Amino acid sequence: MHTMPNSIQSSESNPDIILDVRKLRTSFRIAGEWHAAVRDISFTLRRNETLALVGESGCGKSVTALSVLDLVPSQNGRIEAEQIQFNGRNLLGLSEDEMREIRGNRISMIFQEPMTALNPVLSVGHQVAEALLYHRDMNKEEANRAALELLDQVKIPSASSRFKEYPHQFSGGMRQRVMIAMALACRPDIILADEPTTALDVTIQSQILALLGELKRDTGMSLIFITHNLGVVASIADRVAVMYAGNIVEIADVDSLFAHPTHPYTEALMRSIPRSDRDTETLHSIPGQVPPISRMPDGCRFAARCDLARPICRKLDPALQQINAGSTHEVACWVRGDHDLTAIEDRANG
Amino acid sequence: MKDHHAHLYRPSTDYSHTDAIGRHVDYLCPGAYCAWRSGTDYLGDQASAAALDAMRERLGLNRPLLEQYFEFMGNALSGDWGESMVTGKSILGEVINVLPYTLELTFVSVIFGVVTGIPLGIWSALHRNQLIDYFVRLMTLIGLSFPAFVSAILLLIIFSINLGWLPVISSGGRDDFIGWFRDLALPALTLGTIMTAYIARVTRSSMLDVLSEDYIRTARAKGVPNKVIIWHHALRNALIPVVTMVGLFLGVLVGNSVLTEIVFNRPGLGKLIVGALGQRDYTMLQGLMVCYAFIIIFINILTDLTYGLIDPRVKYQ
Repeated sequence: MHTMPNSIQSSESNPDIILDVRKLRTSFRIAGEWHAAVRDISFTLRRNETLALVGESGCGKSVTALSVLDLVPSQNGRIEAEQIQFNGRNLLGLSEDEMREIRGNRISMIFQEPMTALNPVLSVGHQVAEALLYHRDMNKEEANRAALELLDQVKIPSASSRFKEYPHQFSGGMRQRVMIAMALACRPDIILADEPTTALDVTIQSQILALLGELKRDTGMSLIFITHNLGVVASIADRVAVMYAGNIVEIADVDSLFAHPTHPYTEALMRSIPRSDRDTETLHSIPGQVPPISRMPDGCRFAARCDLARPICRKLDPALQQINAGSTHEVACWVRGDHDLTAIEDRANG
Repeated sequence: MKDHHAHLYRPSTDYSHTDAIGRHVDYLCPGAYCAWRSGTDYLGDQASAAALDAMRERLGLNRPLLEQYFEFMGNALSGDWGESMVTGKSILGEVINVLPYTLELTFVSVIFGVVTGIPLGIWSALHRNQLIDYFVRLMTLIGLSFPAFVSAILLLIIFSINLGWLPVISSGGRDDFIGWFRDLALPALTLGTIMTAYIARVTRSSMLDVLSEDYIRTARAKGVPNKVIIWHHALRNALIPVVTMVGLFLGVLVGNSVLTEIVFNRPGLGKLIVGALGQRDYTMLQGLMVCYAFIIIFINILTDLTYGLIDPRVKYQ
């Protein structure tokens, strides 16, 4: 990790904020050149809050989560930020051992693919017990007993008899429960859930969501929930950050976002949700595609697909701004944001 | 097995008891002419037709191939492998005499290859595209490019002739451990380094595959220490293809031991088979073929059972 000068005051002033990410930029080396997959994004996460990261594939949601835990492959990946402040402590510049103390202990992660995210040759019970073995002062027996309780807690039927079984003997939904039990093991402050329900069918999906909601309520943890499914967002999130091509383009409380989607991309996403309560013939889709990471345009990255785009949009990148003074609803858009467009365009041209 | 070899020492002009397949094989097989010669060699150039017929009668060559085959297999399974055409000794007895030498050579070589090759492969994988990795890859490439008899001779020159540490001729002594070790060291090193090279390369590539798997990232996200990730989470998965390869190459190694045994003048199946070839001792060759077949089958069973130990997805019921 590269540390940048810490120019902005830290979040220690606000003890309610558990994670404060400022200007996170994660780049990957592709054919010898560095390209930013996540571009200077900032967000905060409060205690016991669920923040949803939404966007289509490749917009940088997963990379953001992996960056927080410094799990980006080190050979071809690079993380820079002003700060990644967790519980008043900057995670940037921590040694690998110090980071390991935090991973799975204070911040843990649930991965998308329960099929491949569990080790096929180790027993399920052992994989759950492991986090306790390395983070808690427990011997094998105690860790196993605690792991068994965790498997019970995530509602795996007859957990004690399945403890020594292997991942291939579990169904997809059961494996995702095992992943959740693993993430929960050390009672972390934050769980980063990277599309935990995407690979599951709808009934299992709602069970998993209910389980996560319940656990969050019981343990007081915070949750960063990554998904491309706005329906899931509505049911689980407190706040939502909409990401597009490595930027956060809109961030708001869940009610405010669904009531007033402001960024043209958010609007288009909302129109693309299939609805059973309305009688529409066709499903709306957003024309065009996300620009490839190696050929990102100047200015607003959504401009090429945006009906409202003005000349300024292709020149300058808009920053996140409150939609009106004092609001917690922020949007990065020249047209929809609270801007004096003529003044800005004059300045840009002059 | 029998039908393949039985016709070898049948005069190729004599079709009195062959069927269509036998005749074709007879022509296709380059040994047919020699075989015919050998029949007369064995009995002498001046052997009469009557003597040849008697010989065929004794070896059962005048009977249908299928009958020859089943009789041989039946006898072989009940422990009667016949006698050597040359010495008249029991083939099974001869094989049992030398089999331990070949087996100890093969298994010590494999153990050497496993013990050195796996750590080397892991080390190389962990330093991917760094100097260490290039070095290991170059050395293993050289190691597996050398034929066994060349490296055997090089080792002899270095350790036996120049340094004088180890004997030139490995008689396979087993009076005491030191003698046993001194006699086994060079032959085992010859075969072992080939194994090391193969195992290191397979381990490296399989380790690299496994390290990029999702479950390795899961383990890291759990805060599992790096050492545990490599030796516990990754290695067991990476070993699955290594076991396949070791199983396959054990067979190759048994074959390679032929050359090694000759270079070091060491008793073993290899020396026995070359001796039998030189003397056109077809009954002995046939017995040895059966013996090799049993060894290969045994190795394959062992390999399959090893999968079960490493990979819980493999279950035998």
